[in-house]
Amino acid sequence: MCVLFSKAASAQKDLLSFNEQNKYIYYQVVQQPGSTADTLQSRALYFLQKAYPKNKIKQGETSGNFTGTGQFLILSGIATVKHVDGEINYTYYIECKDQKYRYWLTDFVFTPYKVDRYGNSVPEPGIDIPMETASTKLDKKQAENYLNQIGAYSKQFGEALKHYMLKPAALPKEEKKKVISTKDW
Amino acid sequence: MKKKFLLLLLAASTYGFASKAQDTVKTTADAPLVLYGSVDTYYKDDFSGHANIPTSFASDNNSISIGMVDLGLKKTVGNASFVGELSFGPRSDESIPTAGYHIQNLYVSYNLSSKLNATAGYMSTFIGYEVISPAANFNYSTSYLFTNGPFQNAGFKLTYTFSDKVSLMAGIFNDEWNVYTSEHDVSTFGAQLTITPVKNWTAYLNVATGPTSGTEFDLTTAYQITGAFKLGLNAATFTPPHYGGGFDGVALYPQLAVSKAVTLGFREEYFKSKTEDAGSTYVDAGPVAGGSVFASTFTANIKAGPMTFIPEIRLDSINKQEYSSFTDSSGAPSTSATQFVLAAVYAF
Repeated sequence: MCVLFSKAASAQKDLLSFNEQNKYIYYQVVQQPGSTADTLQSRALYFLQKAYPKNKIKQGETSGNFTGTGQFLILSGIATVKHVDGEINYTYYIECKDQKYRYWLTDFVFTPYKVDRYGNSVPEPGIDIPMETASTKLDKKQAENYLNQIGAYSKQFGEALKHYMLKPAALPKEEKKKVISTKDW
Repeated sequence: MKKKFLLLLLAASTYGFASKAQDTVKTTADAPLVLYGSVDTYYKDDFSGHANIPTSFASDNNSISIGMVDLGLKKTVGNASFVGELSFGPRSDESIPTAGYHIQNLYVSYNLSSKLNATAGYMSTFIGYEVISPAANFNYSTSYLFTNGPFQNAGFKLTYTFSDKVSLMAGIFNDEWNVYTSEHDVSTFGAQLTITPVKNWTAYLNVATGPTSGTEFDLTTAYQITGAFKLGLNAATFTPPHYGGGFDGVALYPQLAVSKAVTLGFREEYFKSKTEDAGSTYVDAGPVAGGSVFASTFTANIKAGPMTFIPEIRLDSINKQEYSSFTDSSGAPSTSATQFVLAAVYAF
């Protein structure tokens, strides 16, 4: 099982390609027949607000798209106990049209963390490493591990977006308590 | 026993998978249980043949000696978090005066709002540039300012973040530094104003004052001016509660990364032991009261993955013989001392 997991994890890096600026990109086009651009746009906005509330959102230059920035932690270590190596800052883009949408994540920049005097993991100021140059500034294994985590995160971002795009943008349903009446048999 | 362990492991794994399966679109999670720490060892050679420089740690001369193993665990769930950091070894013993205790940090913290945090427990001090953990210091030997300042403060503090550029901490701490329980009361007031004037430059203005602990004002600042060059500064003044004495000092820390693996650094420190009134029992680690010392330390950090090799040469020079406790190789009094240290620190 460990071997399978390891192979699956290492494959995540292959989900990334290079764009015209020679930067790593996770790019997907998704067909969604029966949905208008307006519908997809409102669902995309709801997705960003609910699933990634800490991400910065701004409306794109043309209607129907969103762009912004986000970040996530890079971890290493064994299953339940982790070490925080740093954070990845990235740029995302979502564009909606009738019956389809596309999105990408790019501009992945790694900032290493250090442990401060209180035991907190905090960014090392002034050290930002674009992942395209990571091999010159990080160990090869480290760089590969981080690219795998970027691939896995991007895939998760896409899966969550797909989930939100498929269902109407509604408030979460109120959970009903399961009540059993002891009066009835 | 083995079977029980395997069953427990299986149950834990199953629980993990089951929990995951119930919410396939969850994109944010509480931070995992984080493990961090370091292990360090060193060799020191004072050119006189015996140890002279009185600053903290790396105290054994002509010996391959150990520092400490430092092991921290932390976890955040929602707004609540804890940190527990244990240490063992000579470096730990020198940093914790209470025999048998091995705790560097033990505190709980709660975000009362997005801007206000409350923390209580035993924490590394908020004062000074250098710290106990060798993994968080650039130089392996320590400064006089560090050695004579507080290492830890037990207490309760509130931190309010006004903006990305300004925050203020204020707290009440035990009457004495570096102890787990107060001698009499909780009477040291501490505050820290944090300012970030520009990106990559942070300055901390600190004060700790109390009728038992005395009063220390401290400025600690670091500016990563370019990707390769960093400049740090620490200045402090301390006055004990009675009979004068204490110290003044300033230390400058320029550091230059010359390659992916190598950073060169220099620490230049001036430290003055203030004169004392009759009846004073205050003693600092440094020149005799009234004297001053310049300490120049050249250090390299050579990184190999999680390991850092630290070769270092240090020259301390006291202004007058009458204030010096240094002796040369023949045992005669001297105003200067020179030492070489080679340390290896593994951090995780």
